[in-house]
Amino acid sequence: MGFLRTLQNTADGAKALTTGARITMRHYMGQLLKTEPLQTVQYPEERREQFPRTRWRHVLTRYENGLEKCIGCSLCAGACPARCIYVEAAENTDEDRYSPGERYAVKYEINMLRCIFCGFCQDACPTGAIVLRKDFELADFTRKDFLYTKEMLLEGASVIPLTAVGTHKEAVK
Amino acid sequence: MPDNRLTQTEASLNPAVTQMVNIKIDGIELQVPKGENIIESAKRAGVDIPYFCYHPRLSKGDAANCRMCLVDVFAPRRAPDGTVSLAKMPKPQASCTLPADEGMVIVTDSEAVVRDRKGVLEFLLINHPLDCPICDRGGECPLQNNAIFYGAATSRYTEEKRHFPKAYPLAENVVFDRERCIHCARCTRFTEDISGDAQLGFLKRGADMEVGTFEHTAYKSKFSGNVIELCPVGALLSRSYRFKARPWDLHSQRSVCSKCSNGCNIKIDYRLDSLQRINGRINEAVNEEWTCDKGKFGHSYVSSEARLKTPMLKTGGEWKAIDWTEALQILVGKLRDANGSVAGIGGQRCTNEDNFAFQKLFREVLKSNDIDSRVEGYLGSVNKPLYERFGYHAMGNAIAELEDMKTILVLGSQLVDEQPIIYLRVRKAYRFKGATVINAVSSVPEDSPKVGDFAQLELVYKPGTEAALLKGILSVLSAEKLASVNGFAKGYTLEKAAEETGVSAEAIQQAARLMATGKLAIIAGREVANHANHLEVVQAIGDLAEATGNAQNINLPGEDVNSQGAADMGVLPDFAPGYAPLENPGKNTAQILQAAADGSLKVLWVAGAKLLEKFPNRELAQAAFASDTFIVVNELTMTETAQAADLVLPAASFAEKEGTFTNCERRVQRIHKAFDISLEIKPDWLIFSEVATRMGGGGGSFFSARDILKAISAQVPAYAGLTAKSLGDEGVRWNYPDK
Ligand code: SF4
Ligand code: SF4
Ligand code: SF4
Ligand code: SF4
Ligand code: FES
Repeated sequence: MGFLRTLQNTADGAKALTTGARITMRHYMGQLLKTEPLQTVQYPEERREQFPRTRWRHVLTRYENGLEKCIGCSLCAGACPARCIYVEAAENTDEDRYSPGERYAVKYEINMLRCIFCGFCQDACPTGAIVLRKDFELADFTRKDFLYTKEMLLEGASVIPLTAVGTHKEAVK
Repeated sequence: MPDNRLTQTEASLNPAVTQMVNIKIDGIELQVPKGENIIESAKRAGVDIPYFCYHPRLSKGDAANCRMCLVDVFAPRRAPDGTVSLAKMPKPQASCTLPADEGMVIVTDSEAVVRDRKGVLEFLLINHPLDCPICDRGGECPLQNNAIFYGAATSRYTEEKRHFPKAYPLAENVVFDRERCIHCARCTRFTEDISGDAQLGFLKRGADMEVGTFEHTAYKSKFSGNVIELCPVGALLSRSYRFKARPWDLHSQRSVCSKCSNGCNIKIDYRLDSLQRINGRINEAVNEEWTCDKGKFGHSYVSSEARLKTPMLKTGGEWKAIDWTEALQILVGKLRDANGSVAGIGGQRCTNEDNFAFQKLFREVLKSNDIDSRVEGYLGSVNKPLYERFGYHAMGNAIAELEDMKTILVLGSQLVDEQPIIYLRVRKAYRFKGATVINAVSSVPEDSPKVGDFAQLELVYKPGTEAALLKGILSVLSAEKLASVNGFAKGYTLEKAAEETGVSAEAIQQAARLMATGKLAIIAGREVANHANHLEVVQAIGDLAEATGNAQNINLPGEDVNSQGAADMGVLPDFAPGYAPLENPGKNTAQILQAAADGSLKVLWVAGAKLLEKFPNRELAQAAFASDTFIVVNELTMTETAQAADLVLPAASFAEKEGTFTNCERRVQRIHKAFDISLEIKPDWLIFSEVATRMGGGGGSFFSARDILKAISAQVPAYAGLTAKSLGDEGVRWNYPDK
């Protein structure tokens, strides 16, 4: 009886294999003969369009006049479940202005190794300064490089704010 | 002098009322003292009533103005036929000023109250900028909390809000955002009721109303920092903490202020390894909930750039950073070579544990009794001035006891600077408890709040004539038969005292009469402590206290954070820990410096004492530092004294170590470690203990501050039974065994 069972099992296995191979071969031939559309994306030469609400790398955005939206309020840091945002604030003066109002962030850091891309920071932000955008290629070689600073996160300004002087200019890419 | 005493007694501030009444709050029946404010009764019942202007330590005065605490009230009403029924008051009442009475029924959650609260909040928010994200109070703001719990989700107000420039510089340490003020009058009442300088008041009316000082002069107070914590919105802000952090960025550690001997309980709020702000912590026996500005704003040194982070060695006049191994090697070498010719000064800024380890190292390992913790003032035997006569060394009274005095004599002290919290108690005794205060002092500072502002009598005597003044008072007491003076004032007459002191004879007479009326506390300050004839003055104080029957009410508080503890721990030339007399006493600070200057001392170890800055005989201190004596200093920064030393060891501040301080009223209180600034910085006890270990151990090696506390409670009778646990959050006041 043992022999018959073994025979039966072998036949079942062969059947499963050929079923799978048949599907593969069908699509392979279809794509080869161009009777059906290509399924794979040739990353990194080719990239797929991201969904509109994809949450990847953060960006600190600016107003149209070039001033930073971030007011250094730390609400993002408070909302972050991974505790990976560090904000240090300081006071704007008329000579040295970064954002509208009294307060701006001198230091803004996100530890990308700890971030879980939940987007709570974007949710908490009262000015819409911090947003998660579509750039997902975040691999790097050393841990330290995952500490994203304000300079890395801040988006380039299309206009240089009239009042911006000193260190602020360096931040403008 | 205008009398600023409160005329109406307030049950909450004067809990003398003992009659109990039955009331009902939200269906909960309870008994409360008659006249207690309903808001406090509600707290007992665990019923939440929102409020802004109410504060348990402030008088109601011109307050009860925020209307946040409205409740519905039903009061019993007796009909003509004698039947009693409950009648609803036509309008909701402010529970913060509503005295409890028999049979009252309170409803805090009726539909009308809920609607009223919404309305009150909508009104308050009309002119409030709601810039919470950039407001330092955001996250710990009563207005935010109440708006979220009791307010409406939206506002119907669409017009332009009131605008003022932000961050108006109100005081040296306080900035004021006028837009955010909700006119609760907490800050103004604080300056009137508590700090006593009465500088803040309301200007203008209606929506234009703003808090300000008379003619917009600067707000100068020694207690201005408290209004920041009192303000229920982010209107009054700390200049140094402004924009530094949000509450959720901070960690908080319980501690005790390091700035003076009053030992205010504080919270250290820090971020990573840097101190951001100091807030008061409640301890009813010490600071209630206040701090002075020295304590609140004076701790930036902890996280300053100037902190030493490695041992520093002076070679050929140049400072060189070295590591601990080398530093300890050099130090131990020097101590060995010195062969007992070593001395130690300091410890008043150190914890009890540091001081205990210090004296162990000197007495048991280095075999020297030449240690002292006193830098200024009287350097003789500490038992002489008071202990031998009255059985205590510094303060006869607890700080809180001062409230119960009938008369308080403040002698030779700028009390508000020297003992800020004792000053607040004296002021409280005067304002809320009806005490009479007499201020005797040799100079009156111009433009600063002081005891003289509310003292019934101010005696300005010629410097150094305290004893004559006291004897003059005694002679009046004797002449008018107000007290049995036992011949204390022998040979003294009123005229002689008046002439010597420059105080008018009438004033001395008045003072004497005031002092003979009951419980009298005498608080002596710096002028007495540093008096050339300290013993004579203290003798006269003792005579006066004894004659008036107040022998246990003499107070000579020390000034440094742990001057009391350093003495308790036996950092004295003639006493072991617990004031146990030594057989062969060592040298005191002056004698040690003299020995160094003479070249007969090999090694001098200074534990945080600011000798060059503070020692009265500066020439002697300089000569000592210029001599060949090898001087090692434990310090936080390169102070003048450290600059003049040969080896400087980086010591931990109070925020970086565990331990206990003993405040001026002998309350032993714990401090907790908040953070490390550098791993190369060590607490003083560890430095002493490592040296002791390298020198061959003995009793001087310890593993932890707790270890030392155990050793202390085993050796010092007054500290027996004190453990980290039994000290708790509020500390324990030790008492003399025979008292
Ligand atoms: S996406 Fe989430 S985890 Fe990442 S920084 Fe924002 S709040 Fe933190
Ligand atoms: S990004 Fe937004 S939430 Fe974060 S600090 Fe800046 S303004 Fe505040
Ligand atoms: S400044 Fe603050 S404490 Fe003073 S009245 Fe205004 S809201 Fe009240
Ligand atoms: S009174 Fe003394 S202990 Fe209290 S905060 Fe001021 S300096 Fe510190
Ligand atoms: S708390 Fe009662 S009126 Fe302000």
